[in-house]
Amino acid sequence: MFKMKQTMLVIVLFLVASLLAVPVQAQEGSDPVITPVVCEEPGSLTMWVWDETWAAIIGASIDVWIAEYCPGAEVDLQVQPWGQYWDVLKTNAAGGDLPDVFNMSQDRFFFYADNDAILDLQPYWDMYGVDTTIWGSGLVGPYRWGEAGDLYAAPVNWDTIAMFYNKDMFDAAGLDYPTADWTWDDFAADAAALTDADNDVYGAAVYSEYQSGYPNWIAATGETPVVDAARTDCTLDNEDSIAALNFLKGLYDEGIMPGVSIMGGASADDSFNFWASERVAMVSGGSWKLPQAIDEVTFNWDVVQLPKHPETGRSRSIVHSVGYVASARTANPDLAANLILFLASDEGQMFFAEGGGVAPANPSPAIQQMWLDSFGDAGVNAQAFVDATADSQGVTVFDEVWDVMNTELVVQIFDLDIPVEDAVASVCEAINAELPE
Amino acid sequence: MTSTLLKFFGPTPLSRRKALWGMALVAPNVLGLFFFFGVPVLMAFITSFREWNAIKPARYVGFDNFERLATDPKFEQALTNTFKLIGLTVPIEMVLALGIAVLLNQPLRGRNWLRMAYFLPVVTSTVAASVVWTSIFQPRYGILSDLLAPVGLGETKWLVDPGLVLIPVGVVAIWQRLGFDMVLFLAGLQAIPGELYEAALIDGANRWQRFRNVTLPMLSPTTFLVVVLAIINGFQIFDQVYVMTLRTVPGGVGGSATTLTYFLYRRAFTNSEFGYASAVALVLFLLVLGVTVVQLVMQRYWVYYESDEG
Amino acid sequence: MRRDISLPIQAISYAVLIAGAVVMILPFVWMTSTACKPSAELNKLPVRWLPDNPVCGDNLDLLYDTSPHFNRYLLNSAFVTLGRLLGQLVTCSLAAYGFARFPFPGRNIIFAMCLGLLMIPFQAILIPEYILIRDLGWIDTFYALIVPGSFSAFALFLLRQAFLQIPIEIEEAAIIDGANPLRVLWHVTLPLSTPALAAFAVITVQAAWNDFLYPLVVSNTPDTRVVTIGIALLQGERRTPFNLLMMGSLLATLPMMVIFMLLQRYFIAGISMGGVKR
Repeated sequence: MFKMKQTMLVIVLFLVASLLAVPVQAQEGSDPVITPVVCEEPGSLTMWVWDETWAAIIGASIDVWIAEYCPGAEVDLQVQPWGQYWDVLKTNAAGGDLPDVFNMSQDRFFFYADNDAILDLQPYWDMYGVDTTIWGSGLVGPYRWGEAGDLYAAPVNWDTIAMFYNKDMFDAAGLDYPTADWTWDDFAADAAALTDADNDVYGAAVYSEYQSGYPNWIAATGETPVVDAARTDCTLDNEDSIAALNFLKGLYDEGIMPGVSIMGGASADDSFNFWASERVAMVSGGSWKLPQAIDEVTFNWDVVQLPKHPETGRSRSIVHSVGYVASARTANPDLAANLILFLASDEGQMFFAEGGGVAPANPSPAIQQMWLDSFGDAGVNAQAFVDATADSQGVTVFDEVWDVMNTELVVQIFDLDIPVEDAVASVCEAINAELPE
Repeated sequence: MTSTLLKFFGPTPLSRRKALWGMALVAPNVLGLFFFFGVPVLMAFITSFREWNAIKPARYVGFDNFERLATDPKFEQALTNTFKLIGLTVPIEMVLALGIAVLLNQPLRGRNWLRMAYFLPVVTSTVAASVVWTSIFQPRYGILSDLLAPVGLGETKWLVDPGLVLIPVGVVAIWQRLGFDMVLFLAGLQAIPGELYEAALIDGANRWQRFRNVTLPMLSPTTFLVVVLAIINGFQIFDQVYVMTLRTVPGGVGGSATTLTYFLYRRAFTNSEFGYASAVALVLFLLVLGVTVVQLVMQRYWVYYESDEG
Repeated sequence: MRRDISLPIQAISYAVLIAGAVVMILPFVWMTSTACKPSAELNKLPVRWLPDNPVCGDNLDLLYDTSPHFNRYLLNSAFVTLGRLLGQLVTCSLAAYGFARFPFPGRNIIFAMCLGLLMIPFQAILIPEYILIRDLGWIDTFYALIVPGSFSAFALFLLRQAFLQIPIEIEEAAIIDGANPLRVLWHVTLPLSTPALAAFAVITVQAAWNDFLYPLVVSNTPDTRVVTIGIALLQGERRTPFNLLMMGSLLATLPMMVIFMLLQRYFIAGISMGGVKR
C-alpha cells in the first residue's frame, strides 16, 4: 500500500516535473535516454569535484535538480585542486569523512571499491529502470564491481584519442591528408616523409602517456594494454604488445619520432605542445585537447582516427570516463543516488554538451550532436573522436601501476634506448609486484 | 617532600626563581607545539607498528614494517640518494650563502635589489621553477645545452639519466635554499660588534684575516643554526624532486631521484601503505635526531657564544 | 658602520653577485612574462622570455573571471599570515628567552624534543593532523589556519641562537636590579635582536604565506581558503593555463617582495650594538 502510494506520488511529481522541463525536451525533439526522478525526501549533501570549470557546469545542473526535482535539498559543492585531489580524498577517507557524492576516475576506482568505500548504485539503477548497457563498456566497465558486475558509478564524460595533424606540413610534403581507413604502414610512410631532420622537424609523436600514447597501439593488435582485465597479469611482455612497441621504437630509431628529453617531458601535453610548436607533424591526442587546439594553434590542422593495424584492421582508442560515485557511508544514500541519476540524465548532461570541450557520457544522439555542434564553426573533424568510441578499450590499471608504465616504460624505450624486451621485462616485474597474486 | 621538590628546581632561591620563570616562559610554545604537532607525530609513530591503508581498520603488526624496511632495496636507494644529496648540497649551499651574505653586507650601491634577487627563489612559484629548470636542463633546446654544446655535451639527458638526475635536483635545492640561508646569515652578521673589526684593523689584519678571525667565530651561532637547519631540510628534500622529475619519471627513472621523504609520500598516498610510510618517518626522525644530537654535542668545539648558556 | 671598500673588490663583488642574481631570478622572469602571454604563445618551444603580444591586463581580468574569489584568498592569506606572525612573535620570543637564559630541570631535553618536531616531514603527519583538527571541530575555520601555526620550533631555535649571541652582562644589570624578566626581554633583549627579528619575520611571513598542504586539508570553502590553494585551483585535470597560474603566482609573490624590501633594511651592520656600553 505504502509502496503504491509512493509510486503514485513519484509519477505525479514526475509529470509535474516533466511539464516544467518541457522547453528542454521540446528543443531536443527525441526521447530522453535517462529520465530524472523526483527525490523522495530532500536533505543535504556534500559533493566534491576537481575542476572549477566542471564545478560551474555541475553547479548549474544541480540548481536545476534542486528546483525541479528536489526542492529543499542542499548541496555543498566543493572544488578540490586536481593536483592534490586524490591525496585530499584519501586524507578525508582516513578520517572517515568521504564526501557524499564525488568524482572518481577509472584508474582510482579499484582502491575505493576494494575497500568498500563506494556505494553500490546498481539497486538504484534497477529501481529507476536505467539499463546500464546504454553506456559503452569502455565507459562503465571499469566501474563495475563484484560478482554480478554491479555498476557503482554514473559516467560523466568520455574521452577518446585521435591523431592531430598539421595540414600545412602535409601540403608542403605533397602528401594527401590521412583518412579514417589508413593503416600503420601509411602512418609510418607519412611520418617518414614529413620528417625534416635538417630543420629539427619530426614526423610523429605518439607514445606519451597511458591514454594518449602507446597503449592505443597495443590495443589495436587486440591485446589488452598493460594489465589484463582481471588485473592479474602484466600484458606488456606478451608478443603483440612487444610487436606494437617495436613498431613505435622503429620510428624513434629512424629519427622520425622525437625522444622524451627532446620534447622536454613524458606527458601527453609535452608531445602536444611540441606539435603546436610545429616541431612534429602528427601527434596523438585526446578529445579534451580540441578547445585548446582551436584556441591556440596557428597553422592549419585537423584530426583523423588513429591508423588501423594492418592485420587486425582495427583502430582502437583508449577511452576514459570520469564517474560520479557516492560514499558507502553517506547518511543520505537515496538522495545521493537521486542526484547522480539527475546528473547522468539527458537533462543534467545538457550542461556539459553545451559547454563544449567535455564530451558528455549520456549516449543520447541529441546530446552527442550538441557536443559536436559546439565546435561548429572550427571546421574540425571532431566526429573522429565519436567514431573512435565504436571500437575502444577501457582503462585497466590502478594507482601505482599508472605511473610506472606511463613514464618509466616510455623513458626507457624512447629516451634511454633500452631494448623493448628488456624494458617491458623490468616494468612488468614492477607491475606484477603490485598485482594481487 | 617539599624540600625535595624545591631541590629539583634548583639549589638556591634565586635558581629556583629562575627555573620557575624559565618554565613559565617556555610553556606556551612548548605546550602548543606538543599538542598540535607532538600528538600527530605520536599518532604517526603508533601507525608505524600497524598495517593501515587509510580506509580499512588498522591492524597491529609489531615490527613487520621495520623488518620490511631493512630489506627493501627501494628504501635503501632512497636513503643513499638522500645522503648523496645532502653531501652535494649542504656544503655548497653553506659556502655560497655565507659568501653572498658577506658580499651583500658591504655598503654596495643597489644592494637592496641584489638581496631581493637572491631571496626571490624562496617566494617564486614552484610551477614556474619546474618549467624553467626543466627547460634549462632540456637537451638540445635548453640553455645549459647551448653552453655545453661546444664540448659535445649538448644532448646530455640530465633529467632521465639515473646517474645524473641528482645533479639538477641538487642544483634546484641549492637555488631555492640560498635566499633563506642568506637572510639568517645577514641577521647574524649584524650582531657582530663593529668595534671588533676596528680593533682588527688597528692590529693590521687584512681582509681575509678579519673574516677568518672576527667574522667566522662571531658568526658561529648563526652558522650552527644554518647547518642544523640545512641538514634537517636536506633529509626532507621533496619539492625539488617533485619539481624536477614531474615531467619525466616522477621520482626519477628506476627511483634514481627518489629521496626518503619522496619515498614516504609515495608509499603513503600512492600505495596507501600508511603504516609502512610511518615506519619510514620514524627511521628518518631517528636519523636526523642522531645527526642533530651529534651537532649539538660538537658545537662546543666550534660555536662561540658571547654569553654562556644561562 | 660604513666601511669604504676598494674599487677592485667592488668590481669583483658586483660581477659575482650579478651573475648569480641572473640565475636566481630566471624563473621569476619567466613567471612574470608568462603572466602576460596570450594563450596562443604559452606552449611554444623553446621557452620564450618575453611575450610577443603582451596582454597583462586581459590576463588579470581573466584571472578574476576564472577565480572570482581570488581577492578573498589573498585577504585570507594576509589574515592567516599576520595571525601566525603575531602568535609566533609572542610564544617563540618568550620560549627562546626562557631556553636561552633560565636553566630549569629538563631544559635541554625539552629543547631537543621541540627541535625533533622539525625532523618529521609534514607528509608523514598530514592525516593525524587532519584528524586532530577535525576532532577539534576546526575544519573550515581560521582557528585551524592560525592557532597551530602560532607555535614554531624553527622560530624558537632562530631566536634562541640570536639571544645567546647577546652578551649576558647587558641583561644582568637589569636582572639583578630585580626587574621582571618580561621587562628585560621587552626593553633590552628584543631591541638588541632587531636583525634576528627581521629574519624571523621574513621567514615566518614567507612560510605562512606559502603554506599549502596543511590549509589544503583543513579548509574546503572560499571563505577560509588561502591564496596558494586559489592558485592550485586554476589548474584542471586536462588544462594548465600557465598564464593564469603565473598571473596568480605573481599577485601572490608581490606582497612578499614588498615585505622583504621593508624588512631587509634592518640588516644593516652595527645598528644593534651602537648605543650599548660593553
